[in-house]
Amino acid sequence: MGNGTLVQGTLDMLVLKTLTRGPMHGYGIAQSIQQISDEVLRVEEGSLYPALHRLELDGMIDSEWGQSTNNRRAKFYRLTAKGRKQLSKEAGEWKRLAEAIARVLETA
Amino acid sequence: MRRFRKKLGAFWQRRRLDRDLEDELRFHLEMKAEEGSGPLEARRRFGSPSALKEACREMWTFVTLETWWRDIRYALRTLGRNPGFTTVAVIALALGIGADTAMFTIVNGAFSWNAGLDHVDRVVFVSTTDATHSQEFGASYPDFRDFRTRVKSLTGLAAYSTIPVNVSDGSGLPDRYWCVQMSANGFSAVGLKPMLGRDFAPGDERPGAPPVLMLGHHVWQQRYGADPAILGKTVRVNEVPMTVIGVMPTDRRFPEDTDLWMALVPDAARDKRDNRSLMLFGRLADGVRMASARSEMDTLARQLAAEYPDADKGLTAAVLPVIQITGLYSVRPLLAALFTAVGFVLLIACADVANMLLARGAARAREISIRVAIGAGRARIVRQLLVESVMLSVAGGFFGWLVALAGLRWFDAGTGTIVKPLWLHLSLDRTTFVYLAAISIATGILFGIAPALRLARIDIGSSIKDGGNGAAGGTRGLPLSNALVVLEMALCVVLMAGAGLMIRSMLKLYNTPIGVDSSDVLTMRLNLPKAKYPRPADVVSFHHRLKTQLESLPGVESAAVASNLPRGGWEEFNYELEGAAPIPGRSPRIGAIVSSAGYFRVMRLTALRGRLFTDSDGAAGIPVVIVNQSFASRFWPGEDALGKRLRLVRGRVPQPWLTVVGVVPDVLQNFRQLLERDPLIYLPYQQEPQRLVFVVSRTRVPPATLAQAFRREVQGLDENLPAYDVRPLEDVMSQGLSVRLLAAMCSIFALIALVLASVGLYAVMAHSVSRRTQEIGIRMAMGGTARDILQMVFAQGMRPLALGLGIGLVLALGVTRVLRIVLAGVSPFDPVTFLGVVVVLVLAGALGCAIPARRAIRVDPVAALRRD
Repeated sequence: MGNGTLVQGTLDMLVLKTLTRGPMHGYGIAQSIQQISDEVLRVEEGSLYPALHRLELDGMIDSEWGQSTNNRRAKFYRLTAKGRKQLSKEAGEWKRLAEAIARVLETA
Repeated sequence: MRRFRKKLGAFWQRRRLDRDLEDELRFHLEMKAEEGSGPLEARRRFGSPSALKEACREMWTFVTLETWWRDIRYALRTLGRNPGFTTVAVIALALGIGADTAMFTIVNGAFSWNAGLDHVDRVVFVSTTDATHSQEFGASYPDFRDFRTRVKSLTGLAAYSTIPVNVSDGSGLPDRYWCVQMSANGFSAVGLKPMLGRDFAPGDERPGAPPVLMLGHHVWQQRYGADPAILGKTVRVNEVPMTVIGVMPTDRRFPEDTDLWMALVPDAARDKRDNRSLMLFGRLADGVRMASARSEMDTLARQLAAEYPDADKGLTAAVLPVIQITGLYSVRPLLAALFTAVGFVLLIACADVANMLLARGAARAREISIRVAIGAGRARIVRQLLVESVMLSVAGGFFGWLVALAGLRWFDAGTGTIVKPLWLHLSLDRTTFVYLAAISIATGILFGIAPALRLARIDIGSSIKDGGNGAAGGTRGLPLSNALVVLEMALCVVLMAGAGLMIRSMLKLYNTPIGVDSSDVLTMRLNLPKAKYPRPADVVSFHHRLKTQLESLPGVESAAVASNLPRGGWEEFNYELEGAAPIPGRSPRIGAIVSSAGYFRVMRLTALRGRLFTDSDGAAGIPVVIVNQSFASRFWPGEDALGKRLRLVRGRVPQPWLTVVGVVPDVLQNFRQLLERDPLIYLPYQQEPQRLVFVVSRTRVPPATLAQAFRREVQGLDENLPAYDVRPLEDVMSQGLSVRLLAAMCSIFALIALVLASVGLYAVMAHSVSRRTQEIGIRMAMGGTARDILQMVFAQGMRPLALGLGIGLVLALGVTRVLRIVLAGVSPFDPVTFLGVVVVLVLAGALGCAIPARRAIRVDPVAALRRD
């Protein structure tokens, strides 16, 4: 994580979170995460696509082929109900963990 | 579940899945390129697209299943592209696996034989001996009765004796069977029950009880067509009518491959305490160990000895597990040795194929390097190569199955019914199949693992560059290859030494004259029942009539009767020599052949001294005896045996003196494996009439053609009398689990081993020469002669050969000891054999080196140097 790459579980959560803003293709998801994090988080394609396919197989996201903004055929991913539930669970846990770490760092 | 459905959907549309993946990633790359970083930069950041695709694809597919399937297809394709290699490897493996499976079937059959019992490990035999009968194995009925009432460590003690019987009734021709006379508790003692009818009851063994008969399953099926109404029918057994009370289940033929059982009824003769004619068996009581049964029986025997000092002086009782008294027990070490031998053959086959794989590794190094370079993991490579070798061994296993079938059929035919009795059910059953499948896969992994690991470790860069001539196929493979050759050679030496000893032993046996002319002699057996032929005179008169009938047949020269055939053992009698100091309490025993006057003529035996029997011997005049050469020289060395006297002793009562009227040459009466010439005497048939005899006839036509005519003549004299074992004397002599069969088996194993080992050496040398082509070219260019090159190649080939030979000889000297029990007249350390092995192996090895060496000296220096 030190150089801004993401461990697997975290990437899954960020992908799900990103998709709450609507259907998006893989490239869009990567861009979105990078921009929102002010280029702190870089998404490696080597991790992103396996993660997307795994999430799809697990039923967290759905996919369909559609037109991209520049009229290319692209695969769009969409959050499912199951994915939404999973996200809220993971986000909650992440928040608790982050706060805990922050408290430790402040007091120590 | 849903995941599974999705995967299944993807499975059916694999093409689409691949295309989609492709599209998705291309889209990504294009987007990235447009973003400004340029296609090259985009791709660099992207990493290996194929690895990424692979990762995604694996998620969608039944990875394990599909990759296995892919590996198998790939393996089959690779093997198909090298038909030569594949054929040789599969043949080697088929021979190894086939021989191993066949031998496993035999060993498994022999070791899992249960004597027709459910609790074979709890059933014991009790053998008793007394001071005067040091070799005898029997108990008397009174002793048995006492043992039975006193013993506590056995649940039920039973007694039996076996007699051959003639069975006749309305159901066809008379038959001859082995019948067991058994105390009524016999079956219940060992936990057997009839499948039809009732077991023997205590009432059946009371004197005067109506005689009853139990049928073996096979008798019921074969003679009575499995007639369920057989119970209560009357059957004539040795001319005594008996009522059938039951039928035993299939394969329940305890105690001795028994056909029929009747109750053992003690009569006046049986009731004597010194008539030791019974075998005892019983089952260990629950929780009782063998040792406590032994000590109890020992104590009981000593009690009896003290109570009946006249008859039971020095009585002892030994308790043995039932398995130990079967003939099977003694051949177990031999079977184990043969099983080890085929194991060696299989190992050699494995080493061979491993070597071929190593040599082929050179050719494959490049292919493997490329696969590694484009992202295949080493584990995948190893797996792929192992799948390949297992495919090979499974193909070997398939053909090995056929080899095993053929081998077993051959073994079956070779052993006949005499020695491979009912204990062996030689069939390729489920156990065998599981074994075959297991060793097929195991050998594939065994011979495949080392070459696979080696190939997977190759240095990609160098092997792609030098076209597969270095690295894996190169020098690093050689120590392993050489070690495998050493192993092959060593195992080969052991096998060849074993086979060589067997062959030498067989030659010795077949070159040792039996002492009679066995060609053109027809033999058959007859057993005249006491009920119909009560007096010895009846027996003599029957045989006299039969002889007249047989000799009137065209093609028959002469006929005679004898108690034993050559190599067929003898009858034993207690006897005394005139003038020899009597040994108190016991008389020595001597083997005797009881024969009619014509026997010597039929066997083409002439007297060395004196005369042969005449028709009047034993009927009139003084009682006579003929001795063989060994007897004469052992007991009357340097003296004339003629006119000397000896007498038989029956139940301690001396019989009339017999005068020696002739000396005949030694005939091998012992079983073939023993070449000793035993001192024997011949008694005139009319002096000692026998009920169970061999009829022997010299014929002018091939003896087998007269078999039917002989049977008819017997039937003409007595329609209820079976004539059995009607066959030429030569057939009788050549049967048995003979040294010949063992020699043939060992020779086949050794031959396969030799061929495989030589091919192994050849493969390594050929590989080494082709690898060193360049070096050889340089040497020749520098002025090396063909001689130098030959020397180099042979020196390299002979090193593992010599090492293997050395190790093998040491091993062999240890192993051949097991063969001692079957070797006749040959020491297990026979120098001729070992020398022969060395010579043959060196020659085979030289041949293995010669072809590569020839190729080496034909290397064209210019071409060799230009090769790369």
